[in-house]
Amino acid sequence: MHTSTLIIVLLGLMSLAYYLGRKRSLNLVSGRVRDLHSLPSYYGLHTALWCGIPAILLLVVWISFEGSVVTSLVVDSLPQETQNLPPERLNLVLNDIRNLATGDIVSTTVDENMQQAADHYAGLQSISNMAMFVVALSLAIMAGYIAHRSISRQQRARNRVEKAVNFFLLSSSTLAIFTTIGIVLSVLFESIRFFQQIPVTDFIFGLEWSPQTAIRLDQVGSSGVFGAIPLFAGTFLITLIAMVVAVPIGLLSAIYMAEYAGRHFRSLAKPVLEVLAGIPTVVYGFFAALTVAPFFRDMGATLGLGVSSESALAAGVVMGIMIIPFVSSLSDDVINAVPQAMRDGSYGLGATRSETIRQVIVPAALPGIVGGVLLAVSRAIGETMIVVMAAGLSANLTANPLEAVTTVTVQIVTLLVGDQEFDSAKTLAAFALALVLFVITLALNMIALHIVRKYREQYE
Amino acid sequence: MDEVINRSSTIARELKTGSGAEVGMQVLKESQSSGTVGDIYVDDPRMTCRNVNVYYGDKQAIFDIDLDIAKHQVISMIGPSGCGKSTFLRCLNRMNDTIDICKVTGQIKMEGQDIYDGGLDVVPLRASVGMVFQKPNPFPKSIYDNIGYGPRIHGLNDNKDHLDEIVETSLKKAGLWEEVKDRLDHPGTGLSGGQQQRLCIARAIAVSPEVILMDEPCSALDPIATAKIEELIDELRENYTIAIVTHAMQQAARVSQRTAYFHLGKLIEVGETDQIFTAPRHRLTEDYITGRFG
Repeated sequence: MHTSTLIIVLLGLMSLAYYLGRKRSLNLVSGRVRDLHSLPSYYGLHTALWCGIPAILLLVVWISFEGSVVTSLVVDSLPQETQNLPPERLNLVLNDIRNLATGDIVSTTVDENMQQAADHYAGLQSISNMAMFVVALSLAIMAGYIAHRSISRQQRARNRVEKAVNFFLLSSSTLAIFTTIGIVLSVLFESIRFFQQIPVTDFIFGLEWSPQTAIRLDQVGSSGVFGAIPLFAGTFLITLIAMVVAVPIGLLSAIYMAEYAGRHFRSLAKPVLEVLAGIPTVVYGFFAALTVAPFFRDMGATLGLGVSSESALAAGVVMGIMIIPFVSSLSDDVINAVPQAMRDGSYGLGATRSETIRQVIVPAALPGIVGGVLLAVSRAIGETMIVVMAAGLSANLTANPLEAVTTVTVQIVTLLVGDQEFDSAKTLAAFALALVLFVITLALNMIALHIVRKYREQYE
Repeated sequence: MDEVINRSSTIARELKTGSGAEVGMQVLKESQSSGTVGDIYVDDPRMTCRNVNVYYGDKQAIFDIDLDIAKHQVISMIGPSGCGKSTFLRCLNRMNDTIDICKVTGQIKMEGQDIYDGGLDVVPLRASVGMVFQKPNPFPKSIYDNIGYGPRIHGLNDNKDHLDEIVETSLKKAGLWEEVKDRLDHPGTGLSGGQQQRLCIARAIAVSPEVILMDEPCSALDPIATAKIEELIDELRENYTIAIVTHAMQQAARVSQRTAYFHLGKLIEVGETDQIFTAPRHRLTEDYITGRFG
């Protein structure tokens, strides 16, 4: 029988327990709810939780240990010479046994020993399954029964249920934190493996990036140099261009929307501006690569400038356009958060609208705007799709926006796309890059959030 | 209303018979078409308002108000919530312009100049008719820059010394100088509520207005800060004309020389403060000041 069946049965038991618990509490006081410590539904929930949670916890523990226990039992039953195999070989044999037991394709010819082991495996598996079923169900019934019996007038069912709810909320919120920690750790460990092969200083201060490692000794152009400076320079160049586009346009449009625009115009323009935010980045990507980049190249040609067809300029400008709604909606929020009293005070002194905006509203909103811009920067640094399509792959160390540059995210993508061996420096470099990128964006976000929070307190 | 009708019929009768014509004129002068009781006129007024109506969208908030505002006097405007006293006050420096749906008709003149004249710029108007708001609203700038804001906008700061002087005299007039002279570079938002309100008054004074409008300036303050502001208002009367909206009748009695009572968007009665509080002539005024409603 399947685990999902068991869970459905458990849920059924829980609803039964709810019903019984509620009924018992009502029977105890013969319908006078006021005599109970808690409402009847709390007694029901209390019984249901006792019925379900221990059994589910048991299930989780059982499933996580089942595999290793069964495997070790199977290994013990294998012939001595197989047991003495080195770990990798033993693993292969065990894989075959598992495949044989579940009816999948087996890599070697099946001999008698193996067939026996597979049968043994399948047998153990089904015993474990049955046992799990029986133990979990009896635990559920037992715990539910005890909880049901324990119901009394004075029992503090509401407090206990609320404590359980509290715990669920806590675990939900910690789940996100643990996921983040897990991601950081996985990136960190792979990065450490990378830095065992390539010195940290070479990576951080190296001026040349050429991640192709030679498979044969005589191969040409496969130096395997991992200097990250050109990548970060490219990233910052494109981010800078994006910000030069996004910050003025976003900020000015926010000021217009918040201070000048009539209700009619705002109700039309705001959704349209937000459509920009809804366009998938991959669409921006080919817009940059197929429309904007050739346009800049042709423009450059008429002006006598050599613009490469995959220029930092094209990628940066399109990324800036993508970020406009981000900057404008954040700035719009902080500008609207400036109290009307500030405007009144300024108008009351005879200031015009533009004087009020320049001298009162923007200075008052500035910390919030800076916070928003920093969030936008970290967004631009992490942006991938546009630069993959439009920025190019060659790691040039240049400040010229008309040349092709590459970014950290582009390199991570190219290093990991396709079939890769996961122990070469080339592949591991992606994790090191990701780690540095993560640290940078994390720092930016923390600074930004700090500024935004500080700003919020200002008027309170 | 009955009273007014009775009185006008008396006037009509008296006019017909020709006797008591002078008395009749006197009464006619007092009770205009708007039906206000009391003397709306003063000699040599700073501002004159005639037939002022205010609409928020389709809703009319102020009906046909006629009122003169005298020089170097404090006029207080009292009345129950929503009676239009703040709206009327905000007409006097066209602060209602900032509300899209608000429309003002009628005539408000300052020194003979119609302030709602299309050709008139609100910038000099608001410089000469300053405003202090209900909640202290210093800018999130230093104390110095708060005061300097107005003079800078109006180009009164020809040089640093002059601006320093303006800041100092304004703060002195607002009675705040001694408390803040050592920390002019501190943020204005860091002051106490009462100090902030005096800072706002100093900020209004800094552009040397002729009229200062105050919209419930003490409603967010404690009694001690309120007493200080009231004292200040009394001192400012020497140099400025002050119109104050207040909820506290005692405050109106303490600081003002004239009082105007508003009810449901109409100016019911106006007169010397003493007379309004001791011998109100309209029943609504009497009901309000004796606390029968409000």
